[in-house]
Amino acid sequence: MSTVDNPRERLEFLQGTLEVLILRSLQQGANHAYGISQFLEQQSGDEFAVDNGSLYPALQRLLQRTWIAAQWKMSPNGRRAKYYRLTPAGRKQLVAATSRWQRFVEAMGRVLAPEG
Amino acid sequence: MPREWLSKLQRVVAGRRGLADDLHAEIDAHLEFEIQENIACGMPPDEARAAARRHVGNLTQIEERARDAWGFPSLETVAQDLRYGLRGLRRSPGFSLVVVLTLALGIGANTAIFSVVNAVLLRPLPYPAAERLVELGESDPKAEGISVTWVNYQHWRNENRSFEDMAGFHTAHVTLTGRGEPLPARAATVTSGFFGLTGAKPLLGRVFGDADDRPGAALTAVLSYRFWIDKLGADANILGAALTLNGQPYVVLGVLPPQFSFFQQPIDFYLPLHRMQGDIPDRGSHGSMRLLARLKPGVTLHAAVADLDLIMRRLAQSDPGPESLHRAHGVFLTEYTTGDIRPTLLILLAAVGLVLIVACANVASLVLARSTARAREIAIRAAIGAGRTRLIRQLLTENLLLAALGGFAGALLAQWGSRALIAAGPRDIPRLAEATFDWRVLLFAAAITMFTGLFTGMAPVFTAGRANLVSALKDSSRASTGRRGQRSRSALVVAQIALTLVLVFAAGLLLRNLIVAQTADPGFVPEHLLALELALPSSSYRSPEAIRNFYDRLRQDVRALPGVTGVGAVNCPPSVGDCGDWFYSVLDRPAPQPGEVPISLFNTADRDYFHTMRIPLRQGRAFTDRDPPRVAIVNETFARKWWPKGSAVGGRIKWGGPYRDGPVYEIIGVSGDVSQMGLGTEPLPEVYLPFSQSLSKAMVVMIRSGGDPQLLATAVRRRVAAIDRNLPIQSLRPFARTVAGSLAQRRFSTLLLALFAGLAMILAAVGIYGLLNYWVRVREDEIAIRMALGAPRPVILRWAGWQALRLSLIGVAIGMLGSWAASRFLGSLVSGVTESFATLAAAALAVIGIAAIAAAIPVWRATRVDAMDKLHRA
Repeated sequence: MSTVDNPRERLEFLQGTLEVLILRSLQQGANHAYGISQFLEQQSGDEFAVDNGSLYPALQRLLQRTWIAAQWKMSPNGRRAKYYRLTPAGRKQLVAATSRWQRFVEAMGRVLAPEG
Repeated sequence: MPREWLSKLQRVVAGRRGLADDLHAEIDAHLEFEIQENIACGMPPDEARAAARRHVGNLTQIEERARDAWGFPSLETVAQDLRYGLRGLRRSPGFSLVVVLTLALGIGANTAIFSVVNAVLLRPLPYPAAERLVELGESDPKAEGISVTWVNYQHWRNENRSFEDMAGFHTAHVTLTGRGEPLPARAATVTSGFFGLTGAKPLLGRVFGDADDRPGAALTAVLSYRFWIDKLGADANILGAALTLNGQPYVVLGVLPPQFSFFQQPIDFYLPLHRMQGDIPDRGSHGSMRLLARLKPGVTLHAAVADLDLIMRRLAQSDPGPESLHRAHGVFLTEYTTGDIRPTLLILLAAVGLVLIVACANVASLVLARSTARAREIAIRAAIGAGRTRLIRQLLTENLLLAALGGFAGALLAQWGSRALIAAGPRDIPRLAEATFDWRVLLFAAAITMFTGLFTGMAPVFTAGRANLVSALKDSSRASTGRRGQRSRSALVVAQIALTLVLVFAAGLLLRNLIVAQTADPGFVPEHLLALELALPSSSYRSPEAIRNFYDRLRQDVRALPGVTGVGAVNCPPSVGDCGDWFYSVLDRPAPQPGEVPISLFNTADRDYFHTMRIPLRQGRAFTDRDPPRVAIVNETFARKWWPKGSAVGGRIKWGGPYRDGPVYEIIGVSGDVSQMGLGTEPLPEVYLPFSQSLSKAMVVMIRSGGDPQLLATAVRRRVAAIDRNLPIQSLRPFARTVAGSLAQRRFSTLLLALFAGLAMILAAVGIYGLLNYWVRVREDEIAIRMALGAPRPVILRWAGWQALRLSLIGVAIGMLGSWAASRFLGSLVSGVTESFATLAAAALAVIGIAAIAAAIPVWRATRVDAMDKLHRA
């Protein structure tokens, strides 16, 4: 097994990051599951591959924690779809998670950065 | 976390069906979006659909995983564990059956005994605020629980500050006439407060109040439900009707409900105490009245008794006399009604608890052996990714499942067992018949089931946690993987042997105690005696002559019956207990201090009583028809106490002691001791007064026959009726039965304890057999090699036999220590039980004997190992 990442292979989500990203994607406004996965792939410059087998359970977990809420609505192209939106608790969680993530990234960067 | 659970629970309530449909629709819509997108990019519809499908992924799996997010993983694994457990139990039905049966026996026996303990000791008495009800008597420096005099009762009731209410009660025999055959009946004479204290609400009519219970009021009675149904045929017009009791008419005021009971013996009537006896002005005049009282909330019994003592001390100043040293004595009603049976039940509960532990040890040992055999299976599970906690949980679940099955079977067994206990139990255990299954019993059964499940599950969990993957998978030698289990099982067998020894020893002690009592010389010959119990009603036997004439004629008539060799009458026959004791003093001896006046039983016997009973006369003579006035016969214990060397004949005793009025009696004879309080009890000092001088309406006429006393019964009955057609016979039965009945409770508890000891022995034997059998099986190769190398059979026999002997000896040694503790425990609860080395030695021999028998088959098998066959196969 190669120890170096194949640049063509897309990134998998780290444990727990998918949920934060879903919350972030809903900051723009309510969206359905397909829309969320599109958003994440585009925003990450196609680096993230969103596996529906992970996306749907993650959505359920967020629903259970009442960080998001769901509602069936008509989409602009006239289809019925289930739209998720952020709740106030979800918004608070997103702020907390974002700052935690930034600290984590900075710390990772400091450790991994070449010396000098 | 809690918020998640709440959401999940809401979802469970809303139904998972809806969730599945919703997810399905959502993913459908998702797929549709992708298809539209692909078409928009110019793909043909079929291709667009296929590409979208590929991109979205496995639809079923997505749905499943999303749905699982709503599940309760821990609960669902429990269900899975249970499924695996059931499958495992089905795979080894023999093992499961033995375990479930063993546990059912242990849990069943415990639950049955507990149901009795619950009914008799734990369940609150069925009266309002029963925990504050107390029974009050008087005490003096020498005795407690003396009856309360009427004057003292009045003072206590009016002057105390500790009780809500107080009522006097005693019981009496009465005769109902005017309704066909004369009926003997039991009455409780109670003051009006009794009904309020016991919360008795009448089923019909009313109970009597203060106005009915005072001198001069009309005579009234309240009936018990049983009497109204059984003896009066549920007469609907009974209210206001008059019943003739002891020759006087009593107006029936009401009928009590069926569930009401207060006295140990069934009561037929409740009569107003104050109306019947009137005011007795003498403060020292004792009858047989006791008091029932309810403490005010928050007042302790101790403080309440101190409060009454204060009244008694005040009275001693204002009204000095023989009562001056008397004080109050109180016990809680629960203790008063169950005091005698409590130690017996505690012993049985402790014994049956030990049986459960022995049973658990057996099951633990079996489970351990099985888990050793399953080491391979467990290792495979661990190898394919089962976590250690998961494995342990799986094993525990299996054991809890087994325990639950055992508990269920045990509960069924216990239902049957407690019914058998009620049927076989002696009558004098209060509330035994109420031993039914209530929530307390079920809770107890569930608790011990949990305990057995965890206890028996611990041992294999301990070894499973440490199971060595590699060695188990290699399965090089069954013996090597089983060593640890083997050691735990040996410890279990040692514990079993020790506990069994304790039980066998305890049963042996009680049995010895019982045999001593049974074979003790009762002081008379109980065989061939028919006892006729009579109580002449005061209405028709008012004069002393009437009483004397009746008994004289009865004696003559019965004596003339063919087959009768002797007739003698006594007021209080042997082994029925205490019919009355009183103070006395011996003249010409220094007067005792006021608080030190001795007490003796006082009894009344006629001329031929001693001869008829075959009670020997040690000194002097029996009563005659021409005795000088005021003579008495004392028993040996009495005579030895005051005249240890010389003769008691001619001595004079004063009834009531030096501080009370009373006649002086001259001793004319000394009789042998009889066990007045029951077989095997210490004889107490007793004084017999002659019937001719100390008439008593209630007498037991002893009839000695040449053959079976029962054959005389009809003739005796006819003679009584010939003299007085209206006289009921209280009882008529062979006296030997009464004497044996005085041991009924002890015989019952001894039998149960012996049963438990036997059960423990069988369980221990199974345990030893199982362990040694296993020990031999895993060593068959080793034995074969030893034999092939020339070890003769006796060496193998010694080797295997030593295993069994070693465990038995260690168990017996530990058991002996336990037995020492047990004998002290028993001695503190049962009078007459003492440490007995012979009993201990016999018990130890019995246990070792059982162990030897159980070990014999496996040890014999060890010597039968076919060395050649084994080695060829290896």
